[in-house]
Amino acid sequence: MKHVAGRAAAFWVAALVVLVVSACARPAATPPPPAQPKLRIGMVYDVGGRGDLSFNDMAYAGLSRAAQEFGDRVEVKDLEPAAGGENREELLRLLAGEKYDLILGIGFLFTDSITRVAKDFPGVKFAIVDGFIDKEPNVASLLFSEHEGSFLVGAAAALKSKTGRIGFVGGMRIPLIEKFEAGYIAGAKYINPSIEVFSDYAGTTGEAFRDPVKGRELATAQYDRGADIIYHASGGTGIGVFEAAVAKGKLAIGVDADQSLTARPEQRGQILTSMMKRVDVAVYETIKALVEGRFQAGVRTFGLAEGGVGYAVNDHNRAQMQDITARLDELRQQIIAGTIKVPSDRTQLEAFLTTLKK
Amino acid sequence: MSARWRLALLQAAAPVLSIAFGGLVASGIIVAIGKNPLDVYGLMLRFSLTRTDSLAAILLKATPLIFAGLAVALAFRAGVWNIGVEGQYYVGAFAAAFVGFSVRGVPAVVHLPLAVAVGGAAGALWAFVPIALKLRRGAHEVITTIMMNYIAAAVVLYLLADVFRDPTQIGTPRVRTPLFADSARLPPLGPALAWLGFDVPAHSALNWFLPVGVVLCAVAAYLLVRTRFGYEVRAVAFNPDAAEAAGISLDRVRFTMFLASGAIAGLVGLSDILGFFGYFDIDFPKGLGFLGISVALLARNHPLGVVPAALLFGLLDRGAQGVQVFAGVPREVITILQAVIILAIVVGYELVTRYVRVQRKLEAERALAPGEPAPLPGSG
Repeated sequence: MKHVAGRAAAFWVAALVVLVVSACARPAATPPPPAQPKLRIGMVYDVGGRGDLSFNDMAYAGLSRAAQEFGDRVEVKDLEPAAGGENREELLRLLAGEKYDLILGIGFLFTDSITRVAKDFPGVKFAIVDGFIDKEPNVASLLFSEHEGSFLVGAAAALKSKTGRIGFVGGMRIPLIEKFEAGYIAGAKYINPSIEVFSDYAGTTGEAFRDPVKGRELATAQYDRGADIIYHASGGTGIGVFEAAVAKGKLAIGVDADQSLTARPEQRGQILTSMMKRVDVAVYETIKALVEGRFQAGVRTFGLAEGGVGYAVNDHNRAQMQDITARLDELRQQIIAGTIKVPSDRTQLEAFLTTLKK
Repeated sequence: MSARWRLALLQAAAPVLSIAFGGLVASGIIVAIGKNPLDVYGLMLRFSLTRTDSLAAILLKATPLIFAGLAVALAFRAGVWNIGVEGQYYVGAFAAAFVGFSVRGVPAVVHLPLAVAVGGAAGALWAFVPIALKLRRGAHEVITTIMMNYIAAAVVLYLLADVFRDPTQIGTPRVRTPLFADSARLPPLGPALAWLGFDVPAHSALNWFLPVGVVLCAVAAYLLVRTRFGYEVRAVAFNPDAAEAAGISLDRVRFTMFLASGAIAGLVGLSDILGFFGYFDIDFPKGLGFLGISVALLARNHPLGVVPAALLFGLLDRGAQGVQVFAGVPREVITILQAVIILAIVVGYELVTRYVRVQRKLEAERALAPGEPAPLPGSG
């Protein structure tokens, strides 16, 4: 009995010691807030948060570029929502309550949250990436013409394919991802109307954007059916597509960021190019506009013309892309000039394909 | 005598001690990232408890967890595992959403109870399959309920994206049902709380499901402790063989408790969709069913314990936001912190309980006449 009580006493003493030590370990290092009025910019990420090597990391790149460039005039804070993203509105509200000047929400899932919070805080400016909010006087919607960039990589795939068969792996089956698919198919068929395009989606939930096993499975099946190039628009699921490309010795096309730069060394050779969706440009431009006092609410689309989308050329794929860049740039000019109208959904795609067959 | 009082006090203080133990263990992590634990905890508590928007957020976050925790606890009470609360609440929430947007032109006194009843019925229906399989075919409910979770997620998404998607949203990335009729919306709790002197911020979605959940917990506790059926449930959980020998139908007790668990699970999502969103979309809060298992664990499966356990989860969640925004602690660390605190609380509680039990045993031994062999073997 005595030793049990002794052990318990020892435990609580040890606990107390740890508490006291931890309390003394580091003196409080919170500096008082600076007195000069800096523009305060907050950002809340999409589900997945930092480290996805694509969407969210691109947003971070834009934020940190702005923080560096306007160092003494801005103060930035970036927050990750809970795993399911359900507390994003509370985070927005906290930042707005702290009188931040500009708050950015990354991803279309912010649409309703930002609409609500923006109504409650008319003095705070908001921006949403990928979401469409046109009725609030203090919200800028930053949209991309993903179909235009996808058109170019579709054309690249068709130009490079030897089998006459290519593939597409989408993440979650939603209109946003179908936009990538429509542009890709249009680009491929524009170059070669008889090309066959396989198309699969990893699922119908957010999970579909972080399921590399499924991505590998779908890509392997498409390669086995004869595809030699696969374009993925599936976030983290695409890692599986790259693995399949390595295993089969075939090519893949990345998305959002220049994925050749972040992929593992053995995968770099298999990545033909990446469809760049420059979230960083959109974020940076929005902050810049705020700093220069010309922030504008409303919808702003970043397409080929604005440098918002495009295809990646880097040290790893320059040799492979060399013979087709001239053709791709020509297509790019035609899209910017409006001579090619790239379809952005299934119905438009059907119509577009009939114009090719004449 | 004083030793007995000391032990009783220790047992009563066990939850508090275990929370302190949890905080202590988590301090290690906070020190490891170079922050002062006292600062972080201080900020967490100040932020969570001194702001009305925080208090409202804690209560709102706790609302679905009360239902989820109660659902899990009820099944555990009858000795069956309901890991399927997750799926049951998707199905229940979607069923309630269906009533919300498809029924029009009825008054709220009819519409709202109908939506809630249909939600509960759908949850019970989803629980019916695994319990029927268990009682008729001996399929283990842990496996079947987990499988039913996957089916629920897939079915709900199919219905949402391909059958009931709001046609006005086609062409946008938004995948959601049409908006509910106003008569299906849960009224906010704000006015009632304001009358009591607690001003909830206008944006808060705190609604009448919070008191409903608390009342449900109280009713469940009463039924379990004070009624004949409750006695049967306890007998079945304590010793199924003895209960059966005493003439209690195991199947009936388990079936009833599991369906009750499913019905309550069907209500988990309603505070969010009927009280806040007003539609059901792909971004519907997920994972509450699994969190409910933790809540029930923390509450030691006691219906009344579910309420404070859910509130603690709400507090940790809100506190985490404060720490993230004001102390710059990264989200990952906060997630680890939450898990460690909960784990440590469970372990700490177990430690205190065991210590008390051992002390009691020793007390009993001492009470016996000296020289007599101790009758209590050390198994336990």
